[in-house]
Amino acid sequence: MAELRGSHGEANGNLLTRHFGTPDLHKIDVYESKGGYTALRKALLEMEPAAITNEVKTSGLRGRGGAGFATGVKWSFIKRDTPEPKYVVINADESEPGTAKDRYILENSPHMVLEGIMIAAYAVGANQAWIYIRGEYDEPYRMLMEAIDEAREKGYVGQKPMGKDFPIDIRLYRGHGAYICGEETALLESLEGKRAQPRSRPPFPAVKGAWGRPTLLNNVETLATVPTIINMGGAEYAKLGTEKNPGTRLLTVSGNVKRPGIYEVEIGKTFRHIIMELAGGPPDGRKVKVFWPGGSSAPVLPESMLDTTSDAEALAAAKSMGGSGGVIVMDDSHCIVEAAHRLLQFYAHESCGKCTPCRVGGDWAVRMYERILANEGSQVELDNLRRVSDALQNGRCLCGLGDSAGWVIDSTFRHFYSEYEDHALRHECKVSHA
Amino acid sequence: MSALSQHVIDEIRELPARFPQPRSAVMPALDLAQEELGHLTPDAMTEVAAALNLDAGYVEGVATFYSLFHMAPTGKHRFYMCTNLSCSLRGANELVDHLRKAIGVSEPGEVSKDGLFSYEGVECLGACEYAPMARLDHRYHYDLTPEKIDSLIEERRNPRPHLTSPHGGEGPAPKPHKPRAPRKKKVDG
Repeated sequence: MAELRGSHGEANGNLLTRHFGTPDLHKIDVYESKGGYTALRKALLEMEPAAITNEVKTSGLRGRGGAGFATGVKWSFIKRDTPEPKYVVINADESEPGTAKDRYILENSPHMVLEGIMIAAYAVGANQAWIYIRGEYDEPYRMLMEAIDEAREKGYVGQKPMGKDFPIDIRLYRGHGAYICGEETALLESLEGKRAQPRSRPPFPAVKGAWGRPTLLNNVETLATVPTIINMGGAEYAKLGTEKNPGTRLLTVSGNVKRPGIYEVEIGKTFRHIIMELAGGPPDGRKVKVFWPGGSSAPVLPESMLDTTSDAEALAAAKSMGGSGGVIVMDDSHCIVEAAHRLLQFYAHESCGKCTPCRVGGDWAVRMYERILANEGSQVELDNLRRVSDALQNGRCLCGLGDSAGWVIDSTFRHFYSEYEDHALRHECKVSHA
Repeated sequence: MSALSQHVIDEIRELPARFPQPRSAVMPALDLAQEELGHLTPDAMTEVAAALNLDAGYVEGVATFYSLFHMAPTGKHRFYMCTNLSCSLRGANELVDHLRKAIGVSEPGEVSKDGLFSYEGVECLGACEYAPMARLDHRYHYDLTPEKIDSLIEERRNPRPHLTSPHGGEGPAPKPHKPRAPRKKKVDG
């Protein structure tokens, strides 16, 4: 494996990553020697399913995939007495730009993810779990496959895990390159062998999910956190982080910083701490210009807002969000209009085409950016961008992809409108590209 | 003559049983077809459809939705160059320019004259702490520079396996290219 760039070891209150970097941690024996699978044993042999879900509720854990929904509450939506089959589906289709933390977890400790999956499966009464992993993740896929084989040999995956009469099976399904599959209902369509276009809700996946059956969908990091919560207790876990957004989470810090990496950070630290201290700040002689606090879909924040804290409430007050925890940093040698153009190309390319505002709006926006960047812009292009941005937002589409595209325009307008005017009205870029 | 060999067709016929509903087999089946042919031809998709009792148009509709299915011939080795923000802020676009010149192509998908290489600019590959990075065939390559790109190309133009370091840094060494033999059944889908 490549050199680890990010949290590992017992320092700094690491919970998930404290054993990362241990040689062969991906092997089941090593994982167990570090206390692995004790949470599963405890959950299966000493706890009632409802008590497990309650523990997760008490912890205040919120989904780490992007939407930040309360995990325990989500688990309680699955009616345990519904006849089988029910499914747990794990979203390992990590593809939010600037986000690499699920890959980091899977490559370091695949068994931690399996342990979380099995606890969740028992809690909601599902005998079958499917891990939907993005097709480009060859190495994590191979490691997961080996880990599942090991867990099956040990009898953890199988008819009687830890001797408990509750069969659990875990299978892998590879994605094939489509950002939209990170959206939960699009992922389900894909798992069913269809074009990945989001479904209309209701019915929600908890009622009618994979293959028409009740389904719990959770992100890799969310489930990887569950063993920690069972081991330390929900109330202890809830003491970390902020009151409404407890715990630690893995932030991927990338872009123009000296030490890009995946940092496990107690929620509520400032982005100044995360970007300037943990990641070492921008290259010498450069200043932070702007950062995306939670993947490219999170509205941008300018340098003046570096003291914003990383909890969901503070980010919402700053008109952004924690999203996937992908912190992308851009320094003052880069142009915001070019960056927004690149992201709109992304959203236009990844639109699944189902909802008109997103299918048409993304391409319109790209065209406006092309004119502006070719010095053919005017007030007309700026006004059109604002109209497109409005049309993409506020629930006009079945999923959040359209909103995300709109937020790129919206938030870069909010904080950097004068740069847009430089380009569109005066046909100049004040950023030195040196 | 059929596009896919009989053992691939046989493997595809076994796929639906692995899933709660048979339709889920369509992408694993297309994987097998693409692995044999390098890309998906209309005939191959028709044969996949027949083996799965699906409509050929349906199978093509699925295949064309996902970017990892190739509808046209590619190079023997495929560069998937990440050009999203985290990589482009660290020079990915310049690397793409360099790659293009080094393999002598002018656009994504175009195959180099020797048939060895093609490239695509792709969206975030989820290894942003190592930006700029790329996937070459089935392996990630990190902290890319023009020199690293040159040596990746050179290693494939003149393969000298004994010089390939087992500790190159980014996962197992790529498998040598060889025609696929029938495989044993696996439990995982």
